[in-house]
Amino acid sequence: MEINDLLENTGEWLKGQGEDADIVISSRARLARNLVQFPFISRATEPQKRRLEKLLRDTIITACADCNLSYFSLADASALDSRVLMERHLISRELAEAEGPRGVAISPDEAISVMVNEEDHLRMQVIHSGLDLKNTWQQTSAIDNALEAHLNYAFSSKLGYLTACPTNVGTGLRVSVMLHLPGMVITKQIEKAFEAVSKMNLAVRGLYGEGTQAQGDFYQISNQITLGKSEEELLESVSAVVPALVRYERMARRTLLTENRPTLEDRVFRSLGVLQNARIISSQEALLHLSSLRLGISLGLVSQLEPAVINELFILAQPAHLQKLEGRELEEHERDIARASFIRKRLGKD
Amino acid sequence: MILRCEICKKRRATVHLTDLVAEGEKRELHLCEECAEKKGVAIRAQETTVADILSAILSSSQLTKQRSQFAKVTCPACGVSYGDFLTSGRLGCGNDYNVFNKALTPFLEKVQGSSQHTGKVPSRVGEDVVKTNELIRLRQELRQAVEREEYEKAAEVRDRIQSLEREGYGDK
Repeated sequence: MEINDLLENTGEWLKGQGEDADIVISSRARLARNLVQFPFISRATEPQKRRLEKLLRDTIITACADCNLSYFSLADASALDSRVLMERHLISRELAEAEGPRGVAISPDEAISVMVNEEDHLRMQVIHSGLDLKNTWQQTSAIDNALEAHLNYAFSSKLGYLTACPTNVGTGLRVSVMLHLPGMVITKQIEKAFEAVSKMNLAVRGLYGEGTQAQGDFYQISNQITLGKSEEELLESVSAVVPALVRYERMARRTLLTENRPTLEDRVFRSLGVLQNARIISSQEALLHLSSLRLGISLGLVSQLEPAVINELFILAQPAHLQKLEGRELEEHERDIARASFIRKRLGKD
Repeated sequence: MILRCEICKKRRATVHLTDLVAEGEKRELHLCEECAEKKGVAIRAQETTVADILSAILSSSQLTKQRSQFAKVTCPACGVSYGDFLTSGRLGCGNDYNVFNKALTPFLEKVQGSSQHTGKVPSRVGEDVVKTNELIRLRQELRQAVEREEYEKAAEVRDRIQSLEREGYGDK
């Protein structure tokens, strides 16, 4: 598999399956692990990182043979290819922008990705469509077990799995659910809801995880703590808030429909108009309108478009994807032109 | 109307900053990504570092105390000092958790609410740790069950604790 092979499609997790798929986009579990015989990445020398990469790459490929993973070495990859992987949620921004020996192993359906030499030696993640934390965790844990049979992890019976940052120590587990909450944003209830969520030891993050702003009204809810609770308890703490948030979002959408339908329709159809006709559109503006359009589709206001087409656009209309599509690097202004044209095509105009 | 970057006056402003210049006085700045980056504005400005967390949770006197007491403590394995950790928020190797134990424990208890792992254990570490951790978890469960007055559950948990203790997994 080559990075270029990914471009035509998006991962399975964006296909919009499962209950409440219009609100609950995906579930993700991520484990951080380190090998006992090497320093953490920030202190590892270049030769150590090289040895680590080789060891981990070989182990991943043999131990997880069933998963049919392809390994991409990022030291050899272009900055653009790394960004493509980041835009697809297969690697973190940190790994994309790092230097030196590092890489990622990816399954063909993009559900599994195992990062090598990120902040920790290993960061393995599984993403599924919809609310499915239990299965994502079980699959991640199975990969962890397969690797552990060949590797000696840094582990202490008191502190659990030792990680470069003490905010990950213990289980090394971060589980998250990505939600699309435009109704609560429009009705200005989102802050209140998140205040409640943060009181429950959960974190709210934007589309691209740690340190990113909410874009396109996408939010990720994840566990804040990693130590002192079992993995199942952590899953449960995140799962538990999702039904309430879905309910609030549904209520907000209903309020918008019943109390102010013309305003809502105006918003949705203006967005459709912009996306179908704009000749120049920034990433930010595109996300804004895609979010309204997605809302309009899920409420049945717009019927001629498939939700999956919109889901994909959130990824495919990002800068690195557009540049790959055009086959060259583009300035910001050129990207905005390419983006507008790409979106028009996908929405059946031109 | 398109908002232009206030520095280059050409590109579209997509980074919007609000500076608190003085008490109650705000200044807004609109920049394009390129100029913002040149100006050293991290577009990922939201990122919280451990250093931020530390300064937020420890009072300034506690932080000063930590700095003066532990800053020079250095891990012989990787060469990272506790002062380095306070600045970067990253540890250098697994051994740092032992070396900085005294300073890290209060930090973990604040941030994580605990300093005892009760989750998964690598199979090679062995059953001892699994059982000991289970015991710790069960004791927490027992306390919670009693707090919630779920006495039936509490009795069940207590039986499991006692059976583990009989197997010899007491306080270690």
